[in-house]
Amino acid sequence: MISIKNLQASVEDKEILKGIDLEVKAGEVHAIMGPNGSGKSTLASVLAGREDYDVTGGSVTFQNENLLELSPEERAQKGIFLAFQYPVEIPGVSTTNFLKTALNQVREARGEKALDAVNFLKLMKEKMKLVDIDQALLSRSLNEGFSGGEKKRNEIFQMAMLEPKLSILDETDSGLDIDALKIVADGVNKLKSDQTATIVVTHYQRLLDYIVPDYVHVLYKGRIVKSGDKSLALELEEKGYDWIKEEVAAV
Amino acid sequence: MIMESTILENLAEQFSGNSTQEDALKMLKEVGLPHKKSEAYKFTQITSLLEKNIKFESKADDNFTSNKLYQEEGSHLVFINGSLAKEHSNISDKLTMQISEVSEGKHDPFSLLNAAYAKEEIHLESGYNEPVFVYHFNSNGISNPRIKVTVKDGHTFQVVEKLITPENSNTFTNSYIEFAVGKNAFGYHTKVQNYNASTFSHETVIAHVERDSHFYNNTFSFEGGLIRNNLTINLEDENCEGYMYGLFLLDKKSHVDNNTSVDHKMPNSYSNELYKGILDEKSTGVFNGKIYVRQDAQKTNAFQSNNNILLSEDATLHTKPQLEIWADDVKCSHGCTSGQLDEDAIFYLRARGVNEKSAKAMILNAFAGETLEHVKVESVRNEIQSLIDQKLV
Repeated sequence: MISIKNLQASVEDKEILKGIDLEVKAGEVHAIMGPNGSGKSTLASVLAGREDYDVTGGSVTFQNENLLELSPEERAQKGIFLAFQYPVEIPGVSTTNFLKTALNQVREARGEKALDAVNFLKLMKEKMKLVDIDQALLSRSLNEGFSGGEKKRNEIFQMAMLEPKLSILDETDSGLDIDALKIVADGVNKLKSDQTATIVVTHYQRLLDYIVPDYVHVLYKGRIVKSGDKSLALELEEKGYDWIKEEVAAV
Repeated sequence: MIMESTILENLAEQFSGNSTQEDALKMLKEVGLPHKKSEAYKFTQITSLLEKNIKFESKADDNFTSNKLYQEEGSHLVFINGSLAKEHSNISDKLTMQISEVSEGKHDPFSLLNAAYAKEEIHLESGYNEPVFVYHFNSNGISNPRIKVTVKDGHTFQVVEKLITPENSNTFTNSYIEFAVGKNAFGYHTKVQNYNASTFSHETVIAHVERDSHFYNNTFSFEGGLIRNNLTINLEDENCEGYMYGLFLLDKKSHVDNNTSVDHKMPNSYSNELYKGILDEKSTGVFNGKIYVRQDAQKTNAFQSNNNILLSEDATLHTKPQLEIWADDVKCSHGCTSGQLDEDAIFYLRARGVNEKSAKAMILNAFAGETLEHVKVESVRNEIQSLIDQKLV
């Protein structure tokens, strides 16, 4: 589904990604772990098309297309979804309203007919159940005054509405209590299929108890320094990141 | 130093006023029109702009077209070049209206100019909560429409005003409207200012608000060569509320100067002011908000904010809050912000599949939308919303 080769990116001339290689196939869940400042969120942002980052080398192919040439909205329309670490608050724009515009622009790009108000509402009701989100919340200004848990649930709700092919969850678990975490993970699991793929970016192993990864990669100083299966996450949980840093230093 | 303005010279021949108007003219000559150093017009060199742009001769043509009128119940008053045109107006029998000579002149230069040259003074008195729509169709050099509104005790009265001028007409409209809001009454005043580059205006709005009453002013500015709004709300008694909402959404070389003030004179009053500016291309926006809290006005709550988004490096913004407080038990706050569009918010929306243009429009629309809250007449609200939408495309 997505093939990342030797991806390098910098922000304000500071090199953050120093050559990432990653191959994700449909039906797979990949976890990207690593200590703070290793470049995890940068990778997520670069894949979503954030313009603050300069891609200085390498390639990203998404469903046989050069992803790096596409605008953020084109990426979303083609099926990339980024669940933000810090969802932005936008006063005066309700989730319902903006999502209707978003969904219809996505549908248009996919050659589907726009949804009318009735069908949009029907779809919304159906997806709201997935993440146990309240309609009143969706009528309020986007993320404004939402609790951490509400913001993250809103992200997964939007993901459910837009039905992406590749979902990138950037620290979706940070700041969530265990109940909220279960709801969010449950929503993600219900949306998984053998046609879609998920990249879970996280600092902690905890989320991976609920969203079980097929592969775990450790990102450190802008490179993937170790890959393995879910047992690697447990090992990191137990031993912390220091042994990885030592291993890298020894090379 | 009083600058002799060529404007007054040019107008001398047109003077045909009564003795009150003669006094007004005399006083105007004493105070003079604003000059380069006038603090109240610091960012709007109105006198020299008018001298440069306005041809003061009278022309006979008018540009009245009935399709500019709102399709709403209520009275529709059409003014052509400053005089009420009864043949085009539709005056409901619920509205009490009188036409008189000019009865007094106030002390600031443009109010005096209006008093001196107004052809008549229109008195409107509220009846049965029906709105009044006032249209100024001006194609002449200078027009001085003059209106006095009385909102009777316990009444609600809504006045909507707009000015319509032809392209390339180089007109100057110097309007004056004064509200006397009685006890336990509600006065609403909404202005839609969507003119063109050749339209110059100085628009004075004064409200006197009596006990337990509310006054709302909504001013929406979209285009004009020069628009100067002088808005004054006097909260004369206890338990009054004054609201000032404004939006200036400008592009091209439009210049809008909002000079507002609210005066709290007695205890337990409340005022709230919210002005928003969106400035694109080479436009200029000015906001000046004064709050006075007099010594007797204890327990006053007064809030003011002016938030602005600049979309172009060539746009100019001047914003200045001014608080003068003599009472000691008051709550006052003011704040102004100016900045660019929030890039994080735009990225967020784009990452959901919304194209860049729609994302920006969505954010700006939401930013502007807050000012629409108190526009109660549906067709006016729709018109303003569609003007916002057009500008943001």
